[in-house]
Amino acid sequence: MSEGTPPPAAIQTVDVVKVFDGGLVRALDCVTMTVGRGEFVAVMGPSGSGKSTLLHLVASLDAPTSGAIIVSGRDLRSAGNERFRRSEVGLVFQLHNLLPHLNALENVVVPMFSNGMGHREQRERARELLKAVDLSAKEKMTPPRLSGGERQRLAIARALANHPSIILADEPTGSLDSTSADRILALFRRIREERGVTIMLVTHDMHVALAADRIMYMRDGRIVEGLPAGAPPTDGG
Amino acid sequence: MSFFALIARNVFTRKLRSSLTGVAVAIAIMTVVALGVLTHSLRLTAISVLRTGEADFTVAQKGVSDVVYSAMDDAQVERLKSYPGVDSLIGVLIAVAKLDSNHPFFLELGIPPDQLANFGVQVLDGTAYDPTATDQVMLGYRAADDLHKTVGDRITIDTADFRVVGIYTVGNVFGDSASMLPLTTLQGLERKPGSVTLAFVKVKPGTDIAALRASIEKDNPAVATVRTESEFGRVDRNLSLISAANVATSILALVIGAIGVMNTTVMSVFERTREFGVLRAVGWTRARVVGLVMGEAVLISLAGAAVGLAMGYVAIRLIEHVPQVVGVFQPDYPASIFGRALGMAFGMAFIGAFYPAVRAALLEPMEALRHE
Repeated sequence: MSEGTPPPAAIQTVDVVKVFDGGLVRALDCVTMTVGRGEFVAVMGPSGSGKSTLLHLVASLDAPTSGAIIVSGRDLRSAGNERFRRSEVGLVFQLHNLLPHLNALENVVVPMFSNGMGHREQRERARELLKAVDLSAKEKMTPPRLSGGERQRLAIARALANHPSIILADEPTGSLDSTSADRILALFRRIREERGVTIMLVTHDMHVALAADRIMYMRDGRIVEGLPAGAPPTDGG
Repeated sequence: MSFFALIARNVFTRKLRSSLTGVAVAIAIMTVVALGVLTHSLRLTAISVLRTGEADFTVAQKGVSDVVYSAMDDAQVERLKSYPGVDSLIGVLIAVAKLDSNHPFFLELGIPPDQLANFGVQVLDGTAYDPTATDQVMLGYRAADDLHKTVGDRITIDTADFRVVGIYTVGNVFGDSASMLPLTTLQGLERKPGSVTLAFVKVKPGTDIAALRASIEKDNPAVATVRTESEFGRVDRNLSLISAANVATSILALVIGAIGVMNTTVMSVFERTREFGVLRAVGWTRARVVGLVMGEAVLISLAGAAVGLAMGYVAIRLIEHVPQVVGVFQPDYPASIFGRALGMAFGMAFIGAFYPAVRAALLEPMEALRHE
């Protein structure tokens, strides 16, 4: 890349439309937005505003009806979805979606299959990540034996398994008490600082959104405002 | 954790489902092994009848349901003896008698005493019977052990009373579990004067055996010659039918086992839809998902096969003691039957798990993650 050329955005969407039920539901309506590298962006909006749909499209879990999604300079329409999900993004869900019969260490190892690492390397990497989320002492415990906050930290460790450049989190604190939620947010900020990853977090909680660098506000499938954190939306949403 | 370790973990985590699938496979494998060993061993026993005396080939009536129902008369036997290549020919009458409820199929072999050596009979104790004796019998050593008889004892076969004059061996289960008496005596008791069941032929050195057999069969359309195991069905349709039934049962067992595997795997995939959604969401390829489901099915099927083999062995040991087969059934465990069982275990896993595995792989991540 030549000097003076701005680095490619981490995430860019251009006129993205997503309809469901044969066009009856227009979840996203010409969404164009950009998230810079290393940025921590919160996407806010009421239920049904399209924020989770946008996150799923960026994660390549679903395909847009029209428009372009470019992640790390690659158009997702031509990218191999599985490889993209494995190597470029880490996903964190509200209900964590951990495998209940595997222990914490094994849950972190699961995404590492097919990444070319040996078993020992995988284990070491998983231990390093568990240490990063302060779960080293619980690597042998299965998710049902962990608290809600611990499960979400474990889900974050799993999301980081393959050195992703982007973390996509869908309501990661939605089922946590405020203390656990604050701890998760602090963890996201620390990960962003230490690893330089881009974080896109969907929430309907202003307290959570304020932890981000910038807030994108969505309504009826459109981005209505992009505010720096701390500035309240003007439409009262 | 390796991929195989994950497969094993998934299998052992769902103990009840895995066990039920394994039981379906085990029952199918047990059926295949037990039937396979049974028919194979009965076939060996039957074939040993034709190989007694190290004959070059055996002649019997063509197309009978069971070889012991073959019947050839004196004229046919004499005609066979007249062929230039025939060195010696022993005509043997085989009859089946019921001793008691524990021995419903006791075999009697009528052989002239001067042919005993040619027939490969070795007298272990006592002497051979007299050519014209009507109350003398020899017992094979297995029969003697089973009946607790020794030289000098008396034995009643059907309604006739005999004195045991000797204990013999011919080196096979069939012959050693039977009795021998003069040919003419047995022909009289069975009301089959001049009739024999089988003719054992030894050829002169340098004789073209194939040409001789062809010549005999051409001149005598009512008889068939048997030299190899595969030709046995020509003179014993029952064994051919049993073998065919064995193959059909194996196919049925494969289908039933595969349906069992498919049933539980489909249910498992349905219940684990969200899990597969997570795996796809974290970057697992469709091929790896297929590998996971198929791997689990293969592991369960192999475990089921191991249990099925053990159950099959136990079943054979039980069958050994069924009165109807005592004396004619000596279990033999050929590697081919175990190979077939292993092949069937893989077959059940692949046939049964293919559809659910593909179904799991084709799940769209979002659709799967929304699954409750």
